[in-house]
Amino acid sequence: MSTDEFDGGEFEESEFESEACAYTDYSSGEAHDEYPKTGEGATGTERKVWDALYEVEDPEMPVSIVDLGLIYGVEVVDDVARVEMTLTYTGCPARDMILNDVRCAALAAGVADAEVTLRYSPPWNVEMVTEDGKRDLREFGLSV
Amino acid sequence: MRFDPSTRGDGPETGVECPYCESTNTVRDHPKGPGLCRSMHYCEECEQPFEQFG
Repeated sequence: MSTDEFDGGEFEESEFESEACAYTDYSSGEAHDEYPKTGEGATGTERKVWDALYEVEDPEMPVSIVDLGLIYGVEVVDDVARVEMTLTYTGCPARDMILNDVRCAALAAGVADAEVTLRYSPPWNVEMVTEDGKRDLREFGLSV
Repeated sequence: MRFDPSTRGDGPETGVECPYCESTNTVRDHPKGPGLCRSMHYCEECEQPFEQFG
């Protein structure tokens, strides 16, 4: 498994305690001021990338990954899309699948290339799910 | 040998809101569902099983 994503200070500064993912413990967290990021106000190609990401659903639940609050940022520079995102937990078995889906979605929005970077800071929690996401989760039979 | 701490089962055992009928007359069936952050519940009102997220 590649550990490229774990390089850099952000990971060390995060509150995440272990880099191993043998066991992951879920605890509810607090809402963030800046999250979830939903692409509100995005224009041009960035808008198209956000729209494409809304079409990507979680492999387990019929909810957009944007509404789940997994996308932390979208930037398009020189026709290359850079997407920063997180996963609901570090040991997520669908990691590669989701990263590939996100990259393909960004490419389909019409950029020359797309880079997807994982971040675990701030750690995701259920408060990052948007109101639309909570509605979709309830329809799916999940109490949030 | 160490036990998987995720099976500890913290969280409410009753009173979780049913996603179908919004009743809180519910009981927890199991502390863990198909994902680490989900637990299994049952609604006494509409007699449906459901999961809680978070």
